[in-house]
Amino acid sequence: MVRLKDRYLLVNILYTDLPPSTSTPVPVPVPVSDLLLYNQPTNSDLKPQTLLKDVRNEVTSLFGDCGAGKVNHNLQVKYFSPATSTFILRVSRDHYRLVWAALSFMQSCPMKNGRPCIYRVVRVSGTMRKVEKETIRRARLLVLAAKEELKGKSSSVSLGDLLRGDNNNQQRTLPILGDQDVDSASEDDMVEG
Amino acid sequence: MVKRKDPPGGAKDSHGRQPDNTRTTKRAKVQAARTIRTQPSDAALEDGKLDLNRFLNAREFEIKSLERSMNKCKAVNATRVFQMVPRAMRRRTASHNVKRVPKRLRAQARKEMLEDNTPTVESRKRKPRTTRARIRAETMRKLRYLAEKKRKRKAKKAGDGAVEEVQRRGSAVVTTRPPRPKIRRNMLNEPPKADSKYRKRQINKTWLPTHLWHAKRATMTRPSSPLWRFAIPLTSTAKCYRPTHRASGQKGVVAWDTSYMSTIGVYGTADCLERALRYLGLVQEGLWNTRGRKWRAGVRKWTGTVSRQQKGSRRDIGPATIVWNPQPPATTSDEMETSEKPKKPRRQILIRTHPSCFLELFEELLKVAKGQKPQLHVEDLRFEVGSIELVGPASTETLLGILEPFHESPEAAERHANVFRSLAGVANPASLPKDAILAFSARDPRLSYPPKRVQIPSGGEQTILKTLTDWPVEENLKPYDIFDRESRYQASRMPSQKSLNRRKGANAPGEPIKVTAADPPIPVMLLASRPGTDGQAQGTWTLLAPWKCIQPIWYCLMQYPVSTGGNPRLGGLEEQRQIAFEHGTPWFPGDFPATTAGMNWELEERAKRRRDWDRRPKSKRLEWKSLDLGAGRKGEIGDGLACDFEYLFGVSARTRTQGKPDAVSIPDAVAEAMVVDPPAEQPQSPVGMTIRQVTKTEFSALMKSGSGEGVVPEGGIVAVGLEFVTRGVAKPCARIYRLPRKGGKVGGAVGVPSTQAEVPATPEARTRDGLPVDLSEQWLSKAPNGDKKKGAAVPKMPVGVDMETRKKILAGSLLAVEVPYPKPAAGNQTDFGGHPLCPGEEDLIGFVTTGAFSLSEGRGTAIGSISAGRALETLRETGPREGKFCVVRNAGESIGWLARWEVV
Repeated sequence: MVRLKDRYLLVNILYTDLPPSTSTPVPVPVPVSDLLLYNQPTNSDLKPQTLLKDVRNEVTSLFGDCGAGKVNHNLQVKYFSPATSTFILRVSRDHYRLVWAALSFMQSCPMKNGRPCIYRVVRVSGTMRKVEKETIRRARLLVLAAKEELKGKSSSVSLGDLLRGDNNNQQRTLPILGDQDVDSASEDDMVEG
Repeated sequence: MVKRKDPPGGAKDSHGRQPDNTRTTKRAKVQAARTIRTQPSDAALEDGKLDLNRFLNAREFEIKSLERSMNKCKAVNATRVFQMVPRAMRRRTASHNVKRVPKRLRAQARKEMLEDNTPTVESRKRKPRTTRARIRAETMRKLRYLAEKKRKRKAKKAGDGAVEEVQRRGSAVVTTRPPRPKIRRNMLNEPPKADSKYRKRQINKTWLPTHLWHAKRATMTRPSSPLWRFAIPLTSTAKCYRPTHRASGQKGVVAWDTSYMSTIGVYGTADCLERALRYLGLVQEGLWNTRGRKWRAGVRKWTGTVSRQQKGSRRDIGPATIVWNPQPPATTSDEMETSEKPKKPRRQILIRTHPSCFLELFEELLKVAKGQKPQLHVEDLRFEVGSIELVGPASTETLLGILEPFHESPEAAERHANVFRSLAGVANPASLPKDAILAFSARDPRLSYPPKRVQIPSGGEQTILKTLTDWPVEENLKPYDIFDRESRYQASRMPSQKSLNRRKGANAPGEPIKVTAADPPIPVMLLASRPGTDGQAQGTWTLLAPWKCIQPIWYCLMQYPVSTGGNPRLGGLEEQRQIAFEHGTPWFPGDFPATTAGMNWELEERAKRRRDWDRRPKSKRLEWKSLDLGAGRKGEIGDGLACDFEYLFGVSARTRTQGKPDAVSIPDAVAEAMVVDPPAEQPQSPVGMTIRQVTKTEFSALMKSGSGEGVVPEGGIVAVGLEFVTRGVAKPCARIYRLPRKGGKVGGAVGVPSTQAEVPATPEARTRDGLPVDLSEQWLSKAPNGDKKKGAAVPKMPVGVDMETRKKILAGSLLAVEVPYPKPAAGNQTDFGGHPLCPGEEDLIGFVTTGAFSLSEGRGTAIGSISAGRALETLRETGPREGKFCVVRNAGESIGWLARWEVV
């Protein structure tokens, strides 16, 4: 049986400016911590459909009709949370790079007077479950960081972890050079080929 | 009939809605479960401003909603109840037949089937599809009709004169005793007469006592090609490679019905028996002086290889286990008798051997027995004594669960039975004294069916340790019943299952059946053996019992609830090989090509491989002639489908002068001269007669003897265990090469100018056959802990240092290790991606007989046989460390891998 193979992209929306506050017309320069600055919520008016449309447009402009055709048939927003600026996209496995590239080229929120932002693909996975797990993991780290900040400590470490991207690195200890013979390993690979 | 799957959105009712059937509700449920709840952005903002508390709440909400979604998704997954059943209990038919699902899941399965509209198929009621099946069904119907008619006619007749009939019959019935099986002396015996229903299927072979059980659960030998005249289970029909590995080493137990193993009884005086056994190769003095006292008393067994004399040399027959029957205690009446007529007491031994070498051993024994004075008697007890083997941590427990001593009262209790009962808690039979024996009378295991889990007494470690160290089995030693023909016969007259069921029905539920006079004691003997190589591995229990008792014992054994869960696993021949391989011991007969049985096995394997190879289309099979071995060498060495020992020793005859035997002490100059010699003689055939096993002790003695005196017998091979150094997995028939001589003969003088002309660009020095001179060094550089000691330079990371220090240490270590740049060129730059070339044909030393990835070692290992002469030569030249390196190349592959061999 043919099985449709998908990839799920976990994407964060990063804003660099402060949100346009509606209550105070003149923005008072309040010191905002990095944690809040880089994890701002997205405007609730943004609907998943709009987001999807924007991604499609971007793919079309970058890769033309061919690229759009490859991607469009099963591009879907599985999850979109404006409060945390996180969304999960489903793409077909063969063409997820096109979507990723399109996301990298998108520069603003797809609405009227959209704020400038960056779409950051945090995780690519074959199953929804793993993406959800990764989202939870990242949210946990942020919660920890926020709690530390509430206590008055700086939380640069966990924020750094988040921004570093590779989620496995922090669990891994230092790579210790073992008995592995670098030379022979590479030679063996050559032989295999 | 409703279609099983409605088209999506197809069936809509008049209002254009989906009909409210289970399918649509299910879909809605799945969709609902898959949506993840989210919050609007206001949740993260306090009055339009960024706020830490709100931020925190928003993240916590996200975590919760995602977790809930994951759980809901999992719950709503489309799983059917028959998928919940453990893998071993799954049946293909369970998807459409609720009766194939365990009872507690049946209701749910039925509901699911209704929901899914799955049709139930009962094979019994299925209409015949093929013509043949239709005809058969019609015949059956007709026969049924006929039988019905006959029954009616009989009933009618009986109505007339029923009373007289019964009376007449009652007087005429004569009860007869079933005939005792004949055991003829000094002759082979007939297999037991099969049930008439199955007799035709056993013309060319004998079934094991548990054949019907095994035939349903295991792949048996093909009916047309039995193995050693038995129908033997080869492997379980279920997937079992890894489960067997686990059950044999970590938890559980694997059991084999090894009733096909042959047993021979020999009777005679102790001296005559000693002489006969010495003739069979039991010449170690340790057996016949005080050290062998326990063995001769009958409380230890001996396992080893027996051999026979052949034209001035000895030839191995195969492995055998020998057990002596203890002497009866000397009573006063016996002494009286002996004083009247001084007669030496007659002893009895049991020889248990493999069926493939049984005939050879039996004939040899007959020859010896006739030569003794007084003569020995040899009895073929093949179909008298059956056996079961068990391996695994739970093996002792399982045996304890099914074997209960027959005599329970303290005065009648047998000593061995008591010792056996005290073994509860022993996890490895190898922890018993070496070669221990326990023989006693057991109760019919069906009396306490189903078997119950053995309770291990608390705080029993001390008593177990005491038993294991003292091993009090020698007091009141009586002859073992299993040696006695009468008790074996009595034991085989067990009550039928039907009568046991009747007795059980009369009992209260759960109550065990009481032993009556109708239940005979079963004489059993338990042999504990240790694995050949290391002390860590699991030992084996061998249970010997009368042939007819094996089946009831087996049925109960397979039902025993092991304390670590599950039941004992069944094993076949493949599993036996696998476990021997994982223990690193050679398996008889496959790994003993120097014996007749082993050579026959090898020839059969060859034929099998040849058949498989022939069956493949020409484009998809290996063309041996065009195999590229590098350096211009083409074609496989010898026969690629065989462990070609004929070729190996044929070559050795060619490269050496004709007059000299396969001696090892040859000066280099002479050896060089001999290489030039033309082929002197053709290999003799059959090779089985020319090759000869050199045992581990002989080999080590030869090694110690130095280069002067040790002469390896011609065609001597030694069994070795191989372990790959870096990577590689050997298959059977893989070629084993020694490393070529260092700084080999540089060619170019007269040799072959053509190769020089072909490769003028390469500056490497090459020997005459185009191989690089430093081939040996190239191979040795592959060994991980060579001269360079790369691993040693890196300091170990100390425990509990902070990140900064760690970084410093790491940086230091990175700078300290010198990685040569540019990478030093690999020795072989022409082909195979720089991998060293395989050594030449003159360095071929042997073949792999068994090889695979070993689950116990976690790397490729193999068992093979190498030429003892060449191995010794290399060892003496290069020393014990380097001499044991070899190159193993699978048949049909151009690349070899570095391995180390060790004599086993």
